Parts: sequence; C-alpha cells; structure tokens
Amino acid sequence: MAAAMSSSCCASSLRLIPFKRTLVSSIHYPAKTLLLRPLKPSEVPSFRRTIITFQKISTGIVPPPSASSSPSSYGDLQPIEELPPKLQEIVKLFQSVQEPKAKYEQLMFYGKNLTPLDSQFKTRENKVEGCVSQVWVRAFFDEERNVVYEADSDSVLTKGLAALLVKGLSGRPVPEILRITPDFAVLLGLQQSLSPSRNNGLLNMLKLMQKKALHLEVKGEEDSSSGESSESSFVSIPETKDEANVPEVDLESKPDLVEDLGTEKIDDSESGSNVVALGSRGMRIREKLEKELDPVELEVEDVSYQHAGHAAVRGSAGDDGETHFNLRIVSDAFQGKSLVKRHRLIYDLLQDELKSGLHALSIVAKTPAEV
Amino acid sequence: MEGVAMKLPSFPNAISIGHRSFSRVRCSSSLSVCSAAAASSATISTDSESVSLGHRVRKDFRILHQEVNGSKLVYLDSAATSQKPAAVLDALQNYYEFYNSNVHRGIHYLSAKATDEFELARKKVARFINASDSREIVFTRNATEAINLVAYSWGLSNLKPGDEVILTVAEHHSCIVPWQIVSQKTGAVLKFVTLNEDEVPDINKLRELISPKTKLVAVHHVSNVLASSLPIEEIVVWAHDVGAKVLVDACQSVPHMVVDVQKLNADFLVASSHKMCGPTGIGFLYGKSDLLHSMPPFLGGGEMISDVFLDHSTYAEPPSRFEAGTPAIGEAIALGAAVDYLSGIGMPKIHEYEVEIGKYLYEKLSSLPDVRIYGPRPSESVHRGALCSFNVEGLHPTDLATFLDQQHGVAIRSGHHCAQPLHRYLGVNASARASLYFYNTKDDVDAFIVALADTVSFFNSFK
Repeated sequence: MAAAMSSSCCASSLRLIPFKRTLVSSIHYPAKTLLLRPLKPSEVPSFRRTIITFQKISTGIVPPPSASSSPSSYGDLQPIEELPPKLQEIVKLFQSVQEPKAKYEQLMFYGKNLTPLDSQFKTRENKVEGCVSQVWVRAFFDEERNVVYEADSDSVLTKGLAALLVKGLSGRPVPEILRITPDFAVLLGLQQSLSPSRNNGLLNMLKLMQKKALHLEVKGEEDSSSGESSESSFVSIPETKDEANVPEVDLESKPDLVEDLGTEKIDDSESGSNVVALGSRGMRIREKLEKELDPVELEVEDVSYQHAGHAAVRGSAGDDGETHFNLRIVSDAFQGKSLVKRHRLIYDLLQDELKSGLHALSIVAKTPAEV
Repeated sequence: MEGVAMKLPSFPNAISIGHRSFSRVRCSSSLSVCSAAAASSATISTDSESVSLGHRVRKDFRILHQEVNGSKLVYLDSAATSQKPAAVLDALQNYYEFYNSNVHRGIHYLSAKATDEFELARKKVARFINASDSREIVFTRNATEAINLVAYSWGLSNLKPGDEVILTVAEHHSCIVPWQIVSQKTGAVLKFVTLNEDEVPDINKLRELISPKTKLVAVHHVSNVLASSLPIEEIVVWAHDVGAKVLVDACQSVPHMVVDVQKLNADFLVASSHKMCGPTGIGFLYGKSDLLHSMPPFLGGGEMISDVFLDHSTYAEPPSRFEAGTPAIGEAIALGAAVDYLSGIGMPKIHEYEVEIGKYLYEKLSSLPDVRIYGPRPSESVHRGALCSFNVEGLHPTDLATFLDQQHGVAIRSGHHCAQPLHRYLGVNASARASLYFYNTKDDVDAFIVALADTVSFFNSFK
C-alpha cells in the first residue's frame, strides 16, 4: 500500500487516521495495525510537502497493566477531554471510587437501569464477539443523526459494562464516537477488577459500537444525496468524484481524516513565496484559527492549485477548489502538546471545512519558544 | 533476578557431564511470593500420617504460595492445567542447561545424552500406563494433536462412506471436531450417545449403537465437566466384538488414577502432559503396536523417514513415523520427571486422596442453596472425579468467577470448558467449574465455599 498520495494511488484501501503516538515509538497493539514511516522529502513524488503518515486509532487490545504499572503511564493515553462528555463523567466517577467492590456495585447499578433490549434485536450481527458471556448491542440514529445504543447481556457485570458504554456513547455524533480509543478502560480502573477476558469484552463491545456507528453513517451517506462529503471519504480518490462513496468498512481501522503532516523536515523556506489571495474558505480558516488559537504568527496559504490535477479536486463541492492549504501557526496553545496533538487540535477546529470540501492541510505548528 | 545455586539430591536420571549436577533455582520476581512460603516448608509436620497429602506436597509447588488481588491464591482449575512441582521445572532447566542437543541424529556426546534421556522419558510414560512396549508411545504436542493424528492417519485410511464413529455428547471438542472433519472427507457418519437421568452418558444406548457398521468408538475416560467415568473395559469388549477400534481420551484420568492400557485393552489412548504435572507442549498417543504399524504418516518431515528421494520417500517405523521434526525434547524429559514424581507418591494414594477431597467438595458445594452441580451424584457405585461443574441460580458463571478471583483469590473456570454440545444438551450457556488435584486441601475447599457464599450474597443483594 503506497504511503504517498499520488494521482494514481489505490484509494479504496487507503485509510488515514489521526495518529495517537509518535511514529518512532513502538506500537503495542496486534500486528493488524497499519504503520508506515513518513517519506523523506526526496521520496515524495510530484507534489511537494505532502508527507502522509498513516495512523491508527488503537483498536487493538490494551495489554492489562501489570501489578507494577504506574499512573505515569496514563500520560500516554488518549486525553479524557477527547471522550464524549458523558463518558468523561463516568470515567471520573470510577476514578474517584477506589474500592473494587464499589466499582462493581456501580457497574451493576448501571446495568440495572439499562433500557431492556427487545429480543428481536438479539441477533448474530448484534452479538459482541469474544465475550465470555452473551452481549448484544444495537445502534440507530435519532432525529439529529446522533447514535443511540441499546444493549443487553446475560451476565450482570457484563451488562454493567455494556450499560456504561451505552450511557457514555449514546446521543453523540459519529465522529465523536469513532474518536474514542479503548484507553479510557484503563482510566476506569476496572482493569484490575476485571479479568483480561472480560476486559477484552469491553474492548470488543466498544469496537462493535464504533463499527455500528460507522455503518449508520455510511448507510446515511448512501441514502442522502451525494455531494455532501462524509469524513470517511476523505481520501483523494481520483477514480471517483462521488464523495459519498465510502470504502468498505474495515473493522480494524477507523477512517477519519487525511492528514498532510508537515514534519520538521519541511521548512518554512517555501512558505510565503506564492501568495495567493485567500478565498472565502481561506478567510474562514484564518478567522477560526485566529479566534481559537490566538496565534503569535499565522500564515494560511492556499496551495490548491498544486493539486489541481486530482480528479477529486475537479468538480469537488465546495468553494472554487479551495482544497489544500499550508498552515503555519505559532501559538501558546500548543504548549505542552505533542506534534500529533497539535495537529489534531487544528483539525478539530476546522471540522466544518473538512466536511465541506477541504481536503488536506499541511501544518507547521510551533510554540513561540520553538521558533 | 537473583539466582540461587543449590545442590539437589540426584535424581535417577541426573546427568553428570563433568559438572556438579545442580540446578539454579530462579525466584520469580514478577509475583509477590508470600514469605510464608519459606516458612511453610519448615513447619511440615514430622508425623506425616496426620498431615494430608495435599499439605505435604504443597511445598513442592512454589506457584501455590502467592497472593492474587490481595488474597491467598486458591487454585481450583487443575482440570484446565495442573501446576508443576519443582522437580519437573528443574528437569527442564537441567536439560537446557547441561545437555540440550538435538536427538536421534547426532554422534556427539551431548546429543547421545539428550537422546538417552528422551527415550528414557518415553519408557517412563509407557511404564506409567503399562504399555507393553515403549514404541507404542508416540509423543505429540498434546492430546488434541494425538487425536488428530489418529483421525488423519488411521481415520482417513480406514473410514469408508457409511462407516460409523460413536462419540458421546459429553466429549471435549478435541474428540469431536477432528472426527467431524474426517467424516466429511470420508463419508463416515458420527453417532452421539446422550445422557441418562443420572447425567452420565447412557451406556445402554452406547451398547445399542454399536453395530457392524461401527468402526471406531471414541470416548472420554473421565468427563471434564460431569466428573463421571465410563466403563472402558466393557466398551472395548463390545467394540471389538464388531471389529471396531476404541480410542480413549484419558486426559482427566491418567493424571488422577491408575490407568492400565493392557487391562483396558484400548486400541488408542491419549493424554496431555500439562494436566499431569508436566509441562505444556507435550502429550502422547498410546497405540497398539500392530495398529501403529498399519497407519500412514500424519506429518511429514525429518525423523519420520527412512530414505528420501526426489520423487518418493520411505518411512520409519513407529513411533518415529509419527514424530516428524525436532520434538519437544526438554518437555518430554520433564514429562518423564513428572511421571517419576507422581509415581514417587503413588497413583493409588493420589487417587484415594482425591476421592476424599472430591467428595468433600461435592458435599460442601451441594449444601449451598441454589447450586446445581452437573453429573452424577456420588455413591457407593458411582465415583466422581474431583471436580464440580455447577451453576448458581440467577447468577452468570462469569460474574461468579470474576468476583471469586477479584475478591477472594479463588481461581475457577467459567465457560463451556470446551464442551459446547454438552452445555447445549444440558440447556445452559456456560457453567463454573472447580477442579482439584492432589496438591489441594480441604482448606482450599473451605476457602472456596466461603468465597462462593460471599459472592452469591453480593450479587443477590443487587437483585
């Protein structure tokens, strides 16, 4: 699978996702992760500065912490702020309860209050694989296209876990749900209290819920008129102009965003040269970033012309082909954040643009001290 | 990690290769070992008669002396895998440390030693089950592989369309799935014996099912769920009457009682090392000599050949014929050490002790309300194995096992125990199982019962 985005890349298997860890660190998840190293500038074909890195939401099994694991390892986990609000509350609640017995009681309390799942939904597609007990999960959209979950299990503790997830994830939009990594399970502190096989059940439940959310989104896309791009069709697919065409759902990876990561290798020597007047999207990007990041320096450069060759750019819905931008931002907001987190911050701010035709960003994000 | 060098009493097979024979005892640093462990060996009563077998042997099993989740470990999952005494671990260590070498091929000194020990282990296993010749013992990876060996080697060349293979609904998956695969390939038909009202495979039905069409009867000796045992000797008589062969899955019997293959007169018998105090990665198939001689190879490769040409090869005699590639040499030798250890105590003694604690477990467990134990009730005529699979009304076995582990350090198993058809037959999704071995004591059973009662009340309070 080519790492480079070229005009003839095989798109259907391209799935680019925000990277949780730095590329050099080893991944602890099963070998199904797709991990490629960033290309050196010399290896990058025709278009410049589009170094793509493949990243993966950790959907693998989180190895249970040994008895000697320390809270300092929590620094590597997905920050709690990225979880849906209700799930954050739940995590905090469990963190405040130290006694394992009390955690069980809390779990069982959730389970007790879980909306019962009608037996007609206890089907094979709704069954969570790899659970020692039987667990079913069902998902559907509410009027606002938020995902609503229902679940059931024959085991009280597993039902509690399912209820926890239902409570934490229900009523949220798909991208938010897809962004969740299983790290929060560690934060719950249940891992000590639950056997690894049970914990894998939690991970598998989460996986299934995410898969179902994605499925709803995909189905929704196919049902609704094309031209509205979904997040999962982010890849520049030269073959298809239809942005609603989403590649096949793959359980192992969660599509999210295309990222052109400007790594430190890319210098700013090229910025500022061809200053193209910013169109409306460019202005919006600038406004947003200024407002949210209060930058010391901000450069927004429209380089869509460089990608004009892509079929996807041609005729893409959106603003006159404003699809590719270079960003250079110097801001205190990046203090204490890893490169990846900085980029993710920026992407989050530009969600709406990404949804409506913005294809890729090449980002340089520094703190004032780093300049 | 600290290493402690000790001079151990020389085992019958200790190898002196010009070194002092000693083995390093490694302290496992990743477990919190109770300091009581050291003390317990010092406090073993000198009056060995009044101390139960379980108490006496515990010092040989370091792994049992630890805490899990803040409580003392109570290991009640020996039916899944047994713990290994220090002697077995030392044998394995010794092998790798002093004479590790590939077997059967080499000329040099170490290789000869390794080969000697490996073949000695084979002899020990043969003696252990009273096989008439050690060449009737084929080392495999485990019992599952042994059954697959028979299925693919004997089954594929002997089963014809319409032939019948008789199994029970209580068989372990390893004695169902290979036969399914082979019957699909050969057109043979599988017949299953159901349970009678005592929750034991119906022997009368079994007898009725045996007909001239029957080519093989493959059954367990002792059930890993029901704890019941089958009258193998009689079954063999009925089977041989119609010219059928008998394969005995002895995984739950060989570790716990005297098993005499000549007395049983079974054609094939399989067992796993790891259930009888031996390491994982090794098991064996016993097969009658003429039977093995008539069977084609299972896996192809080195060791099992005689001459190899480009277009064909000739094969070795059994057991080599069925042992392709480098075997688990150290593991086989350690299995030999396990056999020595068990024989040192004496299988009759072990069995007698297990009958006693097994009965104690059953009585205590059945005295709890809402507990349903599967399998036959123990009586004068019915001896149960020392295990109980059970369910508590209104409580999922997984919840039970989780709580027992987390709050009480009690290790039991929950699930279908590789016997899904049996659970389906019994009408349950899963069950919990507590299984004993000769290193368990009545104290373990008591701890389990107390923990179980606590667990049940905890979950009941939530209803």
